[in-house]
Formats: sequence, C-alpha cells, structure tokens
Amino acid sequence: MRYRLLAEKLDRILPYLLIAPTVVYMGFFVGYPLVQGVKLAFFDEQGRFTTENVDYLLNSPLSKFRDALFYTLLITGIVIPVEFVLALLLAFFFNSFRFRGKNAAIYVTILPLTISDVAAGLIWYSMLTGNGFANKLLLNLGVISEPIQFFGWQNRDMELLAIIITEVWRSTAIVFVILLAGLQMISHEYLEAAEVFGANALQRLRYIVLPMLMPSIQAALIIRTLFALQVFGSVWVLAGRDIPVLAGEAFYEHTQMHHTGVAALYALIIAAISLSLGALYIRFFKARYLEAGR
Amino acid sequence: MLRAQAKTSLIVAAIIIIVVLAGIAVYFATRPTTEQPTPPEKPEKIVWASTQLVPPKEQAFVKDQLLPKFKQETGIDVEFVGISYSDLVLKLESEIKAGKVTVSVIADLHGGLDMFASKGWLEDLRKFPQLEGRTFPKILEDYSYLHGIKAYVPWLTATYVMVVNKKAFDYLPEGLTPDDVIKGTEKWTYDALLAWAKNIYEKTGKKLLGFPAGPNGLFVRFLHGYLYPAFTGAQVENFDSPEAVEMWNYLKQLWQYVNPASTTWDAMADPLLREEVWIAWDHTARIKDAITTKPDQFVVVPVPRGPQGRGFILVIVGLAIPKGAPYQDAAWKLIDYLTRPETEVEILENVGFFPSVQEASGAVPEGPLKILAEGVNKMLNARDAIVAMIPSLGAKGGEFKQIYLTAFEQIVLQGKDPAEVTKELKPELLKLFEETGAPLPPPDSG
Repeated sequence: MRYRLLAEKLDRILPYLLIAPTVVYMGFFVGYPLVQGVKLAFFDEQGRFTTENVDYLLNSPLSKFRDALFYTLLITGIVIPVEFVLALLLAFFFNSFRFRGKNAAIYVTILPLTISDVAAGLIWYSMLTGNGFANKLLLNLGVISEPIQFFGWQNRDMELLAIIITEVWRSTAIVFVILLAGLQMISHEYLEAAEVFGANALQRLRYIVLPMLMPSIQAALIIRTLFALQVFGSVWVLAGRDIPVLAGEAFYEHTQMHHTGVAALYALIIAAISLSLGALYIRFFKARYLEAGR
Repeated sequence: MLRAQAKTSLIVAAIIIIVVLAGIAVYFATRPTTEQPTPPEKPEKIVWASTQLVPPKEQAFVKDQLLPKFKQETGIDVEFVGISYSDLVLKLESEIKAGKVTVSVIADLHGGLDMFASKGWLEDLRKFPQLEGRTFPKILEDYSYLHGIKAYVPWLTATYVMVVNKKAFDYLPEGLTPDDVIKGTEKWTYDALLAWAKNIYEKTGKKLLGFPAGPNGLFVRFLHGYLYPAFTGAQVENFDSPEAVEMWNYLKQLWQYVNPASTTWDAMADPLLREEVWIAWDHTARIKDAITTKPDQFVVVPVPRGPQGRGFILVIVGLAIPKGAPYQDAAWKLIDYLTRPETEVEILENVGFFPSVQEASGAVPEGPLKILAEGVNKMLNARDAIVAMIPSLGAKGGEFKQIYLTAFEQIVLQGKDPAEVTKELKPELLKLFEETGAPLPPPDSG
C-alpha cells in the first residue's frame, strides 16, 4: 500500500525531474538574456523606466528602423517561398528517381550549407562586382556591352537581387535536407494501397504525401524563417547599410553608435516577430495523420 | 481528454514561469559588483598608459621590441598598459583626486589631452630639459600648448590622403598639370577634381573616382574634416551656413562621377588595385596595401583646396605626464627615447603611424613608405592648410559621424534640399557637444 503511494508520487514528480536540467539551461541562456534585454531597452542607468530608446527608434532622423523593418520582411517574404518551392522540387526529384551518383549529387546540392553567410556574401560579391566573373562571362558571350552594376546606393534594386540570389543559394539546402528526410519517412505501403484503390499521382500527392510531409514542412519553414529574420552577414557584405535590416541595425547601433538600449530593442523586436511567425506556422501547418483524419 | 489538455497547459505555464524566475535569479546572482583594482607598486618600474597601439599585434611590438631596448639603455623597466579612452579618464580622475597617482606617462590623441589639460591634470612640460636632435613642425608644436601649459610632446601622426593611379594623369583637364596635383599648388582645387573626374568619365565611360563610403569606411571623415573646413572654414559651427549649402551642391555634382559601388567599400586599397578606381581618398593605414603592392603605379598627393583653404584631418598622438606622477625624470627619459627619429621610423615601419619630427622623414628608407611619408609631409607643410582634428566625444563619437552621414544620404543620395536637411540636423550636432562638455574641435575654436 505504502509502496504504491510512493510509486504514484514518484510518477508525478518524475516528469518535472526529467525536464529540470532543460529548465535550468533555458533559464540561464534564454531567461537571463531576456531579462537583461528588457532592462537595457526600457530602463535607464538609474533603473527608471524610460521610452527614450523607443523614441529614438521611431523618431530620430538618425534611425533607420522603418527601412530596416521593411527590407527584412521583404527579403523574408521573397526568399522563403522561392527557397521552399525550389527545395520541394529538388526533394521530389531526389526521392523519386534512382540514378548513378545520386548521393554525390545530393552532397553537392547541400554544399552551400557549410559556408558561413559572410563567406557566401563575399563569394557572390566578387562574382557580381563590375570586374567579376558574372559580368565577364556575359560580356564575353556578347549578352551585354556594359558591365551590370550590382552594388552601390543607386543600384539598390540590384543589391536586393544580389542578396536574394546569395540567400537562396546559401540556404535552400537546409530546407531541402529537411524535406527530403520527411519524404523518405513516408512509407511506401500507403502509396501502394492508394494506387490499388485507383488514386492517381495528383491525388496521392494531395491526400497522402503533403499531409504526411506537414511536420517536416513546418520544421523547415520555422527554422528558415528564424534565420531569415536574423539575416545580416551577407547583407552587410553585399549592400552595407544601403539596405538596412533589423539585425544589421542592432549591430550598428551597438558597435558604432554605442546605443546599447536601442540595440537591445532591435533584438526584442526580432524575437517578437520570430515568435509570432512561429506561432502562425504551428497553427496553420498542423500535422494531420491519416489515422486521425475523421 | 480535456483534463489531460489542462494539465499540459499547466505544465507549460509552470515551465515559462520557472524559466523567467530562473532568469531573474541568474541576473541578480551574476550582477557585476563594483570593485577597485589595486595598482601594483614597484619603485623600479614606471607605468605607461596608452590609448594607442592597443591592438594585440601592436602591443606585442611595443612590449617585445620597443621597451626592451629602452630598458637596456637606461635600466628602467616600463609597464605598458593599453587602455580605452573612457577607462583612462576614470583612472586619472580617481588617482588625481585620491592624490595617489601611479601612471607616469600617458599617450593619447590631441583631443583627449586637451580635455586633461583643461582640467589641470597634466604637468607643464616646460620644466624639463630640451629634447635634443629633433625639430617638430610648427603646426604640431603650436597645438601642444594647451590652456597655458606645454601639455604634451607630439609623438606620432596619422592622416588621410589621396592616391592617384598614374594612368589618370593622361586625362587631366585643361590647365592642370601632374605637378600641380603632386605638389598641391593653388590650381589643385575641388573644382579641378570635379573637372578631372568628369573628363575621365567622358573619355573612358567609367566613374573612376572613389571613396570608402561603406558601413565601416571612413568617408565621413572626408565630409567633416576635409570638405567642411575647405568650404566653410569650420567643422561644426557652419554646419548649416550658405557656404555649407554650396559645399553640398558641389558634392552632388561630384557624385555623378564617383563610382557608385563606393557605398559598399570600407577601404580603398582593393578597389585601387582592381582598377575600379584611379583616384581615391582614404586613411593612410587603409591605403598602404595598394602602395606597398604596386609602388610604381601610384602617387600619394595632397587633397585639393576649397574656397577657404586646404582642409585636412591631422591625428596627433601626444605623450604627457600626469600631475603629481611618480618618477618624473624616468618618465621624461622615456618620452625622450620614444620621440627620437630612429624610434619613430621603427614605429612607422611596424605599425604605420607617421613620425612627428622632421628628422625622421629623412630617415625613412626608400620605397613605398617613403612615397606615403612624402605625401603626408607635403600636406602638413602646405601654406593654405586648415588643420582639422577629430573631436573627442567618447561614446558619442558614433552619433557625431552618423549626423554627417545622414546629411550625405539625404542630400546627395536622396536629393533632398541641403538647406533644410542641415537645419534639421544642426541641433542634434550641437547637443552632442553640450551633453559631453567637449570643446568644438579645431579649426572651429580658433
């Protein structure tokens, strides 16, 4: 009798014991910086509440907040759908066909994943610059007669294009890897069964593959969106502050302007947008299992 | 089913609360406590605090090469302390107020030493014997007298210059000779630069003038330390004057012939070497690579002059002795050693700062550094020179720069009215000097 009570008690405590290390970890690496960030952004040196940093962010002629917000969302809004479609096509391709050297082809596809964003920025900068490889190639082929200017404030649309090319080149791979893994987990038995009952390819995709791929799509989108909101290194290399982005402004305000509070505010804003988008993804890309489809 | 869900939410809520509480706990537990470091007291050793030569490579040069020679010669041990400007202010203030000074020699930029002298924290160096065998240029000598005392001995200098690819001389506008440009005669004006860049563009179809206007570039120094003094005679005071409006209109015109990629460049050595530009302006340290790689291809020339004169920034590093410092005779010996021509040449070769004594210029060995040193020297000795100094605004220095950059972006890049933009920004600029109590930088104050 007493043993059973003890066992029941232990059963109740056990989950908390198991997650305790995680909680401590999170408290140290998430909770502490969060408290510190809020303190930096909203309190002055004497510990009094202040909206000075918000004022600066929104109203100072020196602040580039509105542009930064606009460009960050624009880049995220363009890059993610492009990457997603590309990655999905690649994943279907590699999952459906067997051919010699397939593994090697997959490795090559995910190679850009190993390169840091700054390095990727530098690679594309030297390729796209006036005397770069891309311009030389086009000139020699006779496609253009003047080098295309990709960089500089006057060419911001081209700078934006360069950033998008770089980002897509660099990070389609991560989406691809996650989606490919998701596809490979779908059992062939479902598809065979559907075939037996006369479902065509489109129906199989619509009713079996996509629903079962949902968890992978969700994970890929969340990871990729978080990275896109923090985009910084490649933008900094390719466009400097011609195209301001949130993370870049946080860096600039901290290192050049010594506005620690404003930098913290930027960080909080990035965190808030990430959280809300993450919540949206979780809501709209809920996994639907076949067994639960009543 | 419902109960299970409620339980899950409870657990999630509990986790969030615990995480936040843990965060608060960790924050209070690790909050930095105030503590006073106790300075080491060793009679046979003097302390030299410097805001310059602080990067690891430069410190290694000072500690392994420069100071051992001094010890060998005099038997005096020197502890080199690389320190930030704000820490140096704090250290000096507390030591002088406590009447217990430990630092014997300080090395800092002109602006910082100006501030120390204004507070009466520096010894008058006239009480020490003359330094033999070296002549300081008049400009440097004049600036070192501050608030009624000889505040410091000029030690090192740095500046920003123009570098010209010799190919560009084939496209000089009419009436301008290569000699005018190299020697910096009356004819080498900002209008002449405009005509030159335009001519190059019309004949080659390329915009071959360039500036380091990227996010970490120093283009902002060109705005406040070169154009402003040359056109308005001041850096800050005349920020929104009619002359300033004229200056901005000039820059708008010039920018038509500036390589548009300039806004992404942080340093001009690479664009010069890639021949994306033929004429560039930058800091001597950032342009050095181009000249050392292809010394035959480039010439270093003085900057052009404007209606008010030839404005340029002079960075002066001076050596001073704090009031009431210990072992002042040993400190003077160190200053004597550091300002010798051969020591200054050694510093130029190792870390790229230029000498402050005329004898040293003659001692620079032939080669790329000589090209640079000669260019710098010509600018220092130009008759119409207007010397500008970087204000010492401490942490507010970033905002100072951003104000000039914002004006540039709005006027030149976005085409807004210069009179309106400068009027809007001027109060922000003045606020910085009010808040920090820093004096307006030369040439404004004199």
